[in-house]
Amino acid sequence: MTALRIEIENTAPAGRNQGGRLEKWAAEARETLNVPLTAIAEVKVYKTTNGKAEDLAAVFADPVLQQAHFSHKEYRFLHGAPAFVVDVGFRAGVTDNPGHAAAEALALCGIEARVASGSLYFLFGELDAAGAEKVARELLANDLLQKAEIYPANDFYARDRFKNVKLPEVVRTADARVEKISLDIADGALEALSRQRCLALTVDELKHVRGAFKTGLTDVELEIIAQSWSEHCRHKIFGAEIDYNGEKIDSLYKTFVKRATQDVKRSRKLGWLVSVFSDNAGIVRFDDHIDLCIKVETHNSPSALDPYGGALTGILGVNRDILGAGLGARPVANTDVFCLAPPDMPARDEEQFMPRGVKAPKRVLEGVHKGVEDGGNKSGIPTVNGAFFFDRDYAGKPLVFVGTVGVLPHALPDGRKAAEKQANVGDRIFMIGGAIGADGIHGATFSSMEIDENAPATAVQIGDPLTQKRVTDFLLDARDLGLYSAITDNGAGGLSSSVGEMAQMTNGAEIDLALCPVKYPGLKPWELMVSESQERMTVAVPPKHAKAFLDRAERHGVSAADIGSFTDSGNLEVLYNKERVASLPLDFLHDSLPQMKLKATWDGGRPRANWSAQTRLQDRTRKAENLDAALLRLLQAPNITSKEKWVRAYDHEVQAATHVKPFADGGVIWLKPHGGAEENGVAIGCGLAPRLSLHDPYLMAQYAVDEAVRNIVAAGGDPDMCCLLDNFCWPDPVQSEKNPEGAYRLGQLVRACQGLYDVCTGYGMPLVSGKDSMKNDFKGKDKGGRDIAFGVLPTLLVTAMARVKMGSVPVNRFCAAGDLIYLLGGAGKGLGGSEYAHIYNVRDNAPAIDMEHNIALYRRIHQALPLFSSLHDVSEGGMLVALSESMIGGSKGAKLSVALDADASFNEAPGRFIVSVPAAKRETFGKIFTVQPIGTVTDDAELSFNGISLPLDKISAAWKKGF
Amino acid sequence: MSQPVFLILSGDGINCERETAAALAAAGAKAEIVHINDLAARPDSLARFDGMAIPGGFSFGDELGSGQILALKIRHKLGKNFFDFIAARKPVIGICNGFQALVKLGLLPYPETQKRVMALAPNAQGGFIDRWVTLQPAQNSVCKWTEGMETFDLPIRHGEGRVVFSEDAIYHELRDNGQIALSYAEDVNGSHKRIAGLCDPSGLIFGLMPHPEAFAHQATHRTPQRAFMAAGAGLRIFKNIVYYLAENQKEKIYAGRQH
Repeated sequence: MTALRIEIENTAPAGRNQGGRLEKWAAEARETLNVPLTAIAEVKVYKTTNGKAEDLAAVFADPVLQQAHFSHKEYRFLHGAPAFVVDVGFRAGVTDNPGHAAAEALALCGIEARVASGSLYFLFGELDAAGAEKVARELLANDLLQKAEIYPANDFYARDRFKNVKLPEVVRTADARVEKISLDIADGALEALSRQRCLALTVDELKHVRGAFKTGLTDVELEIIAQSWSEHCRHKIFGAEIDYNGEKIDSLYKTFVKRATQDVKRSRKLGWLVSVFSDNAGIVRFDDHIDLCIKVETHNSPSALDPYGGALTGILGVNRDILGAGLGARPVANTDVFCLAPPDMPARDEEQFMPRGVKAPKRVLEGVHKGVEDGGNKSGIPTVNGAFFFDRDYAGKPLVFVGTVGVLPHALPDGRKAAEKQANVGDRIFMIGGAIGADGIHGATFSSMEIDENAPATAVQIGDPLTQKRVTDFLLDARDLGLYSAITDNGAGGLSSSVGEMAQMTNGAEIDLALCPVKYPGLKPWELMVSESQERMTVAVPPKHAKAFLDRAERHGVSAADIGSFTDSGNLEVLYNKERVASLPLDFLHDSLPQMKLKATWDGGRPRANWSAQTRLQDRTRKAENLDAALLRLLQAPNITSKEKWVRAYDHEVQAATHVKPFADGGVIWLKPHGGAEENGVAIGCGLAPRLSLHDPYLMAQYAVDEAVRNIVAAGGDPDMCCLLDNFCWPDPVQSEKNPEGAYRLGQLVRACQGLYDVCTGYGMPLVSGKDSMKNDFKGKDKGGRDIAFGVLPTLLVTAMARVKMGSVPVNRFCAAGDLIYLLGGAGKGLGGSEYAHIYNVRDNAPAIDMEHNIALYRRIHQALPLFSSLHDVSEGGMLVALSESMIGGSKGAKLSVALDADASFNEAPGRFIVSVPAAKRETFGKIFTVQPIGTVTDDAELSFNGISLPLDKISAAWKKGF
Repeated sequence: MSQPVFLILSGDGINCERETAAALAAAGAKAEIVHINDLAARPDSLARFDGMAIPGGFSFGDELGSGQILALKIRHKLGKNFFDFIAARKPVIGICNGFQALVKLGLLPYPETQKRVMALAPNAQGGFIDRWVTLQPAQNSVCKWTEGMETFDLPIRHGEGRVVFSEDAIYHELRDNGQIALSYAEDVNGSHKRIAGLCDPSGLIFGLMPHPEAFAHQATHRTPQRAFMAAGAGLRIFKNIVYYLAENQKEKIYAGRQH
């Protein structure tokens, strides 16, 4: 039986606007790619291995909006005749969500078929073949995932595309043979072996393996070791012994991160830390009925290769972390922070400096945004907090931070504590969710290396939110039925990590890889073991519940396979069709790796590296301007301007618990709908200040914490019930010939950790979870053919989560004329690190941080919440920008009674808020906060200060310009 | 009277079942969340329910058009029992993705003929949008769910909510029948005549793009409210139908006594 091709044409009632992306792409082709493209039209394509035309039409086409075609068809368009047609389809083995869903739809109608999906794009305008190719490659298809065939329109119609239809099919001829590898080879050969197999192991590490496996080892064993010991999984740098300017530091993690939490817990006698740094996520108790889990991850390397797939698998991945926390938590909120190159980069004369092989900044922005949109929306999890931060140094590697908050009941229906899990000897090992394919092989090790032009295509994946939603529904059902004893997610390293780590609960595990469901035959045992194919969880099921577990899985439409059992053999034993292919002592795998020894130096701040300096030609010529002109320029800077249109694409209200929406300083989730007390909510905020790393990462870390805390304070959060998360993304901090900056970068990391420790203990806030990503570099050529190497700005994202008393949260916009405006936290001094300094190239000191003063202020604000008409934290852009935002939000004016200079207007000193207070409460307010008002809220639509009157509509237009 | 029992459909990517159940419970109904596969295993169990809600979400990932595959599944897996439920004039609400499924099933606007004369096409502005909208109930609406309501606010959260008719005459007919239940105060997605929700001629089958279950309490209002436990506008929609069922039951009991 031959396959059928179906094309779906949109008919007249569907209207011309077929999704804004086509118009956006056409505009981008003209503006960024310099291709004279006037319009793009799309026709959806499906290929199916079975079915009759009349049955298929009813499934694939809406009778009001669409018409299905099964044979030769020349389309007519309002735009006239197209110049080129691009036929795009997924490459074999790539997750094809529309295709899979369509196959399900056909099965419902009694038609068993495989289905592949794709699109025809019709390009209009006076473009040539090179232009069409550019559009296809840059906008319509990602070559790693999709195949794009480009035809001049006449050639396209000359072929009969409805004949000899073929679906993409993975053909792998590899047999299941296991290779024996000898490490008894020279150092150079070891290095080559590591590189060729994408192991990311050093020669010393391979020698350590050689010592334990004198007669060699199987490829399965070597791959398991490489995953487990990858920087991504093991965090070797954070655990290293560091010589810092001659001083010895035994593990940054132990010395600064873990110790901060221990010291805070001890000194404040915190009783609400349920689980920190041990499980998939931090778990805290802010409520008498439920616990909250929180985790933030990064997905930088995958997002660099395919921004959409990278961000999508990132958000779904961190959802699974929450699903694997304790005995399984329900995800109730997502967060997302993107650090990207500015969307208006490159300017025309800068194109030649852009790194080759990396997507254009605007495409990265659109891709990661769409990934988070689909990941959150389709999973029914509201995105309640986030940030965009733009800087040129993210042009080689974007940073994509994705976070999830989950809810766990204190106790499950059977009485077990939901936050604790324990697999027992004899428990069956179930792999549930998706099947295994070659996609996602070497994700963990790949992300432990710098990006170059030869990244493995298998490291890129597309997520499947539908499968994951089913997995989530199933697991929460099975959890409440008491059907399993332990659970973890299959993330980096695949089964090798999930089973390898869970095996520590019983001191052993044995699995047979031949029992794993696969997407297609021909996968080798080592590939099955380390593949990171998505949507999978590993679950320990007591044998007596195995049948019930399988039955519930089937009822939910979720694949579940019994692949082995937990033992107490002390080993991770891996079989393939009952034949042993790996036998690894757990203590060797988890505890034998010698501590890394690294050198770190710090001798003060340094200006940007060469690459960035080259691409900043424009900025260096900008002269100082008047305060009103500067304010308007700042308001439209990408780091400050409104992100509303991007944020509105995220469903931020599903689950009906979002009390404060993501347009304010911090988001707030009401806990009652999730089983918590009626009066309880939880605020989530975030902070980062990467440009301060150029001055001093010590300060950078403290600013990041302070901003996250200000967010939750402004959202009504209690600073005394606030936990923090740290996510470090650094350029490679390991000194080598290839990386001469390594020791300095590690010095920067030490400074950041010191700053983090000091501010956590100063504020009395524990860190409950964190992650680090240490190889955020680009090494390759620029588009002009020059060798370039540069890393991201050393970046620490801090996420804060605090308890909120419902009904106490003020708004962040001015409400009533006559209210007095106050600046809480002082004027600040120093433009260093500010957006103003970045735009106008000002060199200045950054304002210091007074921790004692700040935390006292936050506590006072929290006590005095009912006094405020509005409360808004001062962050990017400084005081005058925060004031403008409160004006725009409330459509009010402001008259300031204090004189301002550039420093007072735009410095970004931490610890500050712009608030408004009813005049009648002035006396009460003055007793708590010993400050004088700086102005008054007015009904005049203008901001007046220093004798200047700036109309509100101008301020508003600048801020709403967006990108 | 006995409490009406509502079935809230779940599974396959539906994701608003919990808040829809909570809103129905707050309105006085007994709300049971049932997985579509559990229902498909015993479709006759549908008969014991007094009403049904098909909640919002992304069933089947919105592939092949929002609501399409869910509609196929309902048709093929619940089949006769589902259509008997409709024929028995039991109230059904389809919210957002549920509305899309009701349209793809042909139950809106004409459940008798199931003729496909309308669709929910991609938003005119080109993508998913989450925002609050002001809704205006039509004066002549026969919808039981929105009875007696005046202008109110709810959030919309969809990418495919633009009402399109196969011909303009359909709109006039629906308008004259009182089937246009809700309109947006301003154009938000390019919907024909700003239609936000409509019902069948009996007023019992109701489909709408905005999310009433997302505003059952002031706690989830667009801006933080101090009186967070006070009722939100969405609750009224569910209270209306619970009230209708109670009154209907009284009438039935009364009619029974007449015999």
